[in-house]
Amino acid sequence: MMTGVQQIVTGLEAAQVTLVASVPDTWIGRLMEGVRRSGQLRAVDVAREEEAVAVACGVNLAGGRGAVLIQNAGLLNCGGVLAGLVELYHLPCFFVVSLRGDHRDPVYYHAPKGRVTEETLRAWRLPYARADRRGDLAAQVTQGVEFCVESRGPFVLLISGEDLA
Amino acid sequence: MTPRKPLLDALVEALRPSDVLISCLGANARYLPHMTVPCPVFALCDSMGAAIPLALGVALQRPDRHVVALEGDGSLLMSPNVLATVAAAAPPNLTLVLWVNGRYESSGGQALPPVTVDWAALARAAGLHHVTTVGDVATLRDAFAAARGAGSPVAIVVEIAFDPREAIPPYSERPDEIRARFRL
Repeated sequence: MMTGVQQIVTGLEAAQVTLVASVPDTWIGRLMEGVRRSGQLRAVDVAREEEAVAVACGVNLAGGRGAVLIQNAGLLNCGGVLAGLVELYHLPCFFVVSLRGDHRDPVYYHAPKGRVTEETLRAWRLPYARADRRGDLAAQVTQGVEFCVESRGPFVLLISGEDLA
Repeated sequence: MTPRKPLLDALVEALRPSDVLISCLGANARYLPHMTVPCPVFALCDSMGAAIPLALGVALQRPDRHVVALEGDGSLLMSPNVLATVAAAAPPNLTLVLWVNGRYESSGGQALPPVTVDWAALARAAGLHHVTTVGDVATLRDAFAAARGAGSPVAIVVEIAFDPREAIPPYSERPDEIRARFRL
């Protein structure tokens, strides 16, 4: 039985993702350890989340497939680049975002982010889903990447720490 | 100091068909559709600070192409962190050309915060080893030629004169047109 990390990495590989740009948190850091073990995915550490979005878009422009792995705090930083790059130029951009601060993550300093993340995604009209560990997580990732390619736009997969186990 | 246009002309003349040009929003992006550029161009009309990381993604995906990113000092002042990201990724095929005039030219020429930023020192402090400051056409040509063989990412700081009367053309291409025309 694969761990959640392995399933997500498998899904990225199956979707022919070539590069993963990331700013880690505790959960995304665990996921990036799996990415770094992949022989197919190139891990790129960036200093800020907006950079990750632009790097992934550049990869897509150049014929590859980029993905962004960040925390929801970082996603909330990305409104400008989502509007001015991803949406304006109709570029695929697949996100795996750690959803800190929801009911499964009762850490007081994460709670404000958890309260606004999904409402913000809806306000920004970003297609998104919560990871479903009871289903096929690898397929969910692959389908998310394909959705981005076909729609020429973004898709956000929200994960929790439990999803990585 | 030299005005922007002769410097942009010289840079474009130095490009090769195998290069890739990624431009920040503003004057450069507005001039480029009116110039004969021998390589693919992707020009932003919004999203300050995105040009360099966008170019980094292209450079990492296509190591066979020399990727040139044009960025302004106003945009980079918002996101200087990207210099460290570039230094860490260290693509040998990426050249950053930073246009410094102390103005938010795209939005009407408002002044940046009144402080003199040492851009070359900042780039070096962020981990970039090949950094050059130029202020005229001849030194820009030399610096750009040297960038091709540097073996690691290069930053060229171009100090330009700000002319509030410069007749910068308006944006003449829409994002869908830019996206559709960009092919590597």
